[in-house]
Amino acid sequence: MNEINLVIDGKECKGTSGDTILQVAQKNDIYIPTLCYLKGLTPIGSCRMCVVEVEGSNKLLTACTSPAQDGMVVKTKTEKLFNYRKQILELLFAGRNHFCMFCSQSGDCELQTLAIEHGMDSVRYPYLYHDFENDATSEHLQMDHNRCILCGRCIRVCAEKVGAHTLDLEKRGWSANIITDLGQKLGDSETCVECGACAQVCPTGTITIRDFVYRGRRNDCDEIVESICPLCSLGCQIRGYVRTGSLARVEGSNLEGHDGGQLCHKGRWWLPESTERERLSVPMIREGSSFREASWEEALDLAASKMKAALDKKKAGAIVSGLSTDEELTVFHSIFRNTLDMEYVDCFIGDILRGFKKGFQPFIEQGVRPFTAAHNIKESDLVVILDADPQDEVPVTASYVRVNTIINGGKLANLSTDNNPFKNLTDVDIRVSPDNMFNVVTALLEAVSEGKPLNLPGMDTSSLEKLAAMLKEAEKPVFVMGGNFAREARVVTQAVNLAIASGSVFEDGLGVIPMVRHANSLAAINTVVGDEPWIGTADIDCLYVSSTGLIPEDPQSLEAMSMSRFCIIHTSYMVHPLVNMADVLLPAPAWYERSGHFCTIEGERRKLNVIIRPQHTLKGLGEIFDKLTEKMGVRINSSDVQPCENIFSSTVPAGQARQVAVEEV
Amino acid sequence: MSFLDIDEKIVDLLEQVDLTSTPITDIKEIPEVEVGVIEGALGNEEEVHIARKMREKCKILIAWGDCAVFGGINCLRNFMDRDKVLEEAYTNTVSTVNPEGVIPGGDELPALLPHAIPVDYEVKVDVYVPGCPPDPEAILYVFQEILQGRIPKVPVDMMRYD
Repeated sequence: MNEINLVIDGKECKGTSGDTILQVAQKNDIYIPTLCYLKGLTPIGSCRMCVVEVEGSNKLLTACTSPAQDGMVVKTKTEKLFNYRKQILELLFAGRNHFCMFCSQSGDCELQTLAIEHGMDSVRYPYLYHDFENDATSEHLQMDHNRCILCGRCIRVCAEKVGAHTLDLEKRGWSANIITDLGQKLGDSETCVECGACAQVCPTGTITIRDFVYRGRRNDCDEIVESICPLCSLGCQIRGYVRTGSLARVEGSNLEGHDGGQLCHKGRWWLPESTERERLSVPMIREGSSFREASWEEALDLAASKMKAALDKKKAGAIVSGLSTDEELTVFHSIFRNTLDMEYVDCFIGDILRGFKKGFQPFIEQGVRPFTAAHNIKESDLVVILDADPQDEVPVTASYVRVNTIINGGKLANLSTDNNPFKNLTDVDIRVSPDNMFNVVTALLEAVSEGKPLNLPGMDTSSLEKLAAMLKEAEKPVFVMGGNFAREARVVTQAVNLAIASGSVFEDGLGVIPMVRHANSLAAINTVVGDEPWIGTADIDCLYVSSTGLIPEDPQSLEAMSMSRFCIIHTSYMVHPLVNMADVLLPAPAWYERSGHFCTIEGERRKLNVIIRPQHTLKGLGEIFDKLTEKMGVRINSSDVQPCENIFSSTVPAGQARQVAVEEV
Repeated sequence: MSFLDIDEKIVDLLEQVDLTSTPITDIKEIPEVEVGVIEGALGNEEEVHIARKMREKCKILIAWGDCAVFGGINCLRNFMDRDKVLEEAYTNTVSTVNPEGVIPGGDELPALLPHAIPVDYEVKVDVYVPGCPPDPEAILYVFQEILQGRIPKVPVDMMRYD
């Protein structure tokens, strides 16, 4: 990488060879107007707003696509350029319906901002008034082609970041239009994953999110808070726009990062919806078939007495959410494990987390991190999906898989008990019965590491042979393990063995990616997840349940609640069937009212921030447990919980990982 | 109405300006004046006629507001053809009671143009003041400049389209 020197608008500017003129200008704080350009997407130079004059060239060059060269003399602000840019804007305005007074994006529109910036006080060209379609078939997105300037940002984000490639361009000239699949309506599209990335990057009012329009322009919002999405273990970075105390808009903020600022359907729609749901704001106590409001004092008194009685009989239990922050999990660990010495403590979907915990344990003991950051999927030449449904479990990883397959040309194999989540994209697709999964993975391991022939009675092994050959050939395969896959710890261990055998080694650990749904699953594994399952078998007198109410509770946990004699439910929403199980309801701050950290499968500890201040009737977890333990007459022994990144960090390079005989598990 | 957005400053302005004709004074003939202000897009033949007359009689002609400048909300109808617009407006709208389906027209009424158009499609405009409504500062600025003998252009920080 050589340093290059340019003169832009008379200023000496430094850049790196390979930079475009625009990149050098931006590095040196020189503003060049852009419209179709968006950082992180391939520049296409189609809008021609960024045209610049370069000495020695008699043509105007688009700054976003022209490579900067050493010694270039560039002018970005001449009268000629200003007039050209204004002319482009006038042509865009004349082309379609760009009347601001009836557009929901007025004030948030990049086209409008640029036109004002260029003093466009009238349009010199006749308007076309061509009536394009307004596609309102999607549940959340609206696509009014009359507002479109054909910048192609949506097409590029959909293809390059989401890997869905739902959108493209049809026809030419005045009739050119954004098209969904092969001419379907957006709502009928089979490839669209409804992530809303297209709407986030749209510079005009063409693709809009119904949930956000007229809730407040970005500029009118009172506060913009950086936080993360708590809906899965990837912990995508988000930006929450707050207006008059409510969440007006949520956007992905990591534009230059691995995910390119995308969110999935969960983050995009569930997060804003979660601020509109019916909240639990005061403690309540069951009275017959309904609840009555109670004071904190009364509710905690009742909870403490029931809990104490149950503890004396060793019949107290606790189920907490994997969406709790590190800080909250530490409190749970201190109270339930260290102070009350409870046997029956677990997390929702505990069986899956236990499978990963036990399956990974032998490798963690070796000092190896048995998994890698999820975005490393994009570095792999072969992705093996092991009974996972990434689009459902950790959706942005599905984008990584698609991008790696469609754009990077990586291979994709699917080995599952159910269906193929990446139809039409997989090179090999194998169906295995749940009972046979261990044998299949073992056979693959033996084939890859020892060259043993695949011999599985009752199974057509031709596809498996193909997969084994692909694994032998691959330089950096990645194994994506689904929740279903982890129900058996020995299968997880065997799959990690397979990763080691096929040389799946990354800088931060072995090339395994666990699809854990809950945001802080890794920290939960580190704290509250017990070694043995008890849900459904243990006889529980009093059960404490902490749920954020954001994702539905798993049936097993709900069953345990229904089978315990007394239930203390600590949650944020009046969410059913959870609250139906309660004898005492304790209100909790919602995700947007809390702060803390999540240990993400991206390998980063990310921070959740308070977006909206909680109501005064709510209390934090620490205060509640101080009071509860005081009423129970016990003193808290706080635990010294190691942050999970320490627990899971490698002390030896992943390349030194040794295979483990499954009998050891 | 948007003139009132300049609040008490309208008093100072009126002291320096002689308002000869406004819609309130029920204009029959347009007199010769220094400055004429047109708001609204041109939608029918009468409006085109008035715009031409005003161009004749005014030294400086101002297109006032988004509709006069760009066509604005009137242009919603431009995505349909004229007959369809009339049919929709006079027979199909929910609030219309018109059992015989009469669509007004004939020689007594000015004919609707095929499209609603910005003022400068028909006559030369000297000053454009976009905005729906224009920014109050822009309103004041434009008249102060004209009073100083200059032909103003709305500055970027006072320009808006909504």
